[in-house]
Amino acid sequence: MRFGSRVGCYARLVQSIRIALGQIAPRLGALGANLERHRELIAEARAKGADLVVFPELGLTGYQLQDLAAEVAMRLDDPRLSALAAATADLSVVVSFVEESADHRLFIAAALIEDREIRHVHRKLFLPTYGLFDERRFFAAGDVLRATPSRLGPGVGLAVCEDFWHLGVPQLLALDGAQILINVSSSPGRDLAATNEVGLGTAASWRTLIRTYAQLTTSFVVFCNRVGVDESISFWGGSEVIAPSGAAVFSAPLYDEGLFVTEINAGDVRRERVALPVLRDERPELQLRELNRIVAERAGLEADSTAEPGALPGGDVAADDGKGDPIGFRSVAR
Amino acid sequence: MTITPTSGAAAAERGPAFELPPELTIDTDIATRVMTEFIRGQLEQAGFERALLGLSGGIDSALVAYLTAAAIGPERLLCVSMPYRTSSSASLSDAAAVVAALGCAHETVDISPVVDGYFGSNGAVGAGGSEASPLRRGNFMARARMAVLFDRSVTWRGLVVGTGNKTETLIGYTTLFGDSASAFNPIGDLYKSQVRQLAAAIGVPDAILRKAPSADLWPDQTDEAEGGFSYPVLDRILFWRVDKRLPVDEVAALGFDQALVERVDGMVAAAEFKRQVPPIAKLGPRTTGIDYLYPRRRPGSARR
Repeated sequence: MRFGSRVGCYARLVQSIRIALGQIAPRLGALGANLERHRELIAEARAKGADLVVFPELGLTGYQLQDLAAEVAMRLDDPRLSALAAATADLSVVVSFVEESADHRLFIAAALIEDREIRHVHRKLFLPTYGLFDERRFFAAGDVLRATPSRLGPGVGLAVCEDFWHLGVPQLLALDGAQILINVSSSPGRDLAATNEVGLGTAASWRTLIRTYAQLTTSFVVFCNRVGVDESISFWGGSEVIAPSGAAVFSAPLYDEGLFVTEINAGDVRRERVALPVLRDERPELQLRELNRIVAERAGLEADSTAEPGALPGGDVAADDGKGDPIGFRSVAR
Repeated sequence: MTITPTSGAAAAERGPAFELPPELTIDTDIATRVMTEFIRGQLEQAGFERALLGLSGGIDSALVAYLTAAAIGPERLLCVSMPYRTSSSASLSDAAAVVAALGCAHETVDISPVVDGYFGSNGAVGAGGSEASPLRRGNFMARARMAVLFDRSVTWRGLVVGTGNKTETLIGYTTLFGDSASAFNPIGDLYKSQVRQLAAAIGVPDAILRKAPSADLWPDQTDEAEGGFSYPVLDRILFWRVDKRLPVDEVAALGFDQALVERVDGMVAAAEFKRQVPPIAKLGPRTTGIDYLYPRRRPGSARR
């Protein structure tokens, strides 16, 4: 019976995971106040029986930092992070902050902290610098994408906001062993519209993305987006948990601050992957081969199969063949 | 380091006109070159040939008048003096000296009726009540002067040149939509000490170089008495803190009072809003100033 009870304990941990979504409104640049808010909500989540607590992108610092970024940056050995980690006994917590490397680059980081230890750190890979975004001006981009084992049982994949606007990210995480994809966001609401399901273009896009990724990777997707206002921009919340079937398990309200607790059955991943083995059928070696070719063509190291005849190496448009011949380097190219 | 003004032996006998901290010293030839080109470029891009500014009798607006006259010629510059009835008479005579030296157009617009009409005077209670604080009165005067300048910009067919310096902009010693309003500002990145250095080099009259900086909002007001600092000290703190990014304790270690450094820090932080365009609530796909971004002047935007 001792053996049986251990199995039962294991089964409970693996099968049912309670997820608390900290849909908070961080105070811009107020690291101390945000740390305190995280501690409060971790305690509240613990009291509600949560196994996993997720906070949004830059939940510890606020989003629109600009030159404040360097002032709120923390190294991974920062005592304030250790103090926060101390609150994670028997819990898995995802927090996000400005991480400073030893060589003083600043990253937008998300960390999985479990049992008082930083288990994994994901540095945001894709820094939007277009439209209303200016992240590349203030931050360095991460270079590593890895799934991580977790005390929760299934492997976990972390991503930050814009990372999920790049198809490869959820796919690589799933191929690397993640069964729960966690995206933490500070998504500014825009494209106010009465023409879509939730009245906000941004929300409609995200809802499409995370349902699609959950289905295509046959994984859970946990999306935690902040609320509140930084300068001109308002963050729309709408955090969600999506099942491997692409169906929503839970949808938090738009714009309301709160700690929202929901529960997933981790066994859904196995059932979905057996019934719909698309992840099994992925062809990473095929992708790798073709990506290597594309990279070589873009670098001008191989002939570009889709470029116009006469294009320079690495280019795809041939200079005009007209009489004026204004481009001096054409003769060199030939 | 000290600078002796260039205007005459009598001035030299009275000693240096001001203290110039060595780390703030600039190459005045290059600065003048950049600012005069800037003034010409701003006017040209906007399709204007003329400029105007509020000439207070103080060093900032005097310097901008000299720079603008050098950039476009004094005949294209209008200086407007806008005294209130309590303004010091020295302000007016110093302004007159600048106008005489430059040979530019000059007007005097008394803003007393505007200000008194609003706040009331001689026992009459105006819209704001007769008990308005000096701060309210000072801000209202600055905005009345702004309104006059932008009105005269139409009749003069010129752009309003800003005269605020970097020191007052950083600590927020300005009136929002008052003296901070302009079409462009050539000296907004110069600390007060640098304004003095440049003014001395460009030939601003000695009396203006030597007098204590004042907003002249009430008799005998001076910036330094009101703020509790001297400009050389304030400028140096700002320079090390802002331009050189030193943390507070390292600035204090240079020999400044830690409490003063912290106070200056607080003033700078509290004034961020004065230096920025008011935020617009982001709702649509393209929002002016956020993701609708064009240069202020672009093809098609010039007046002519």
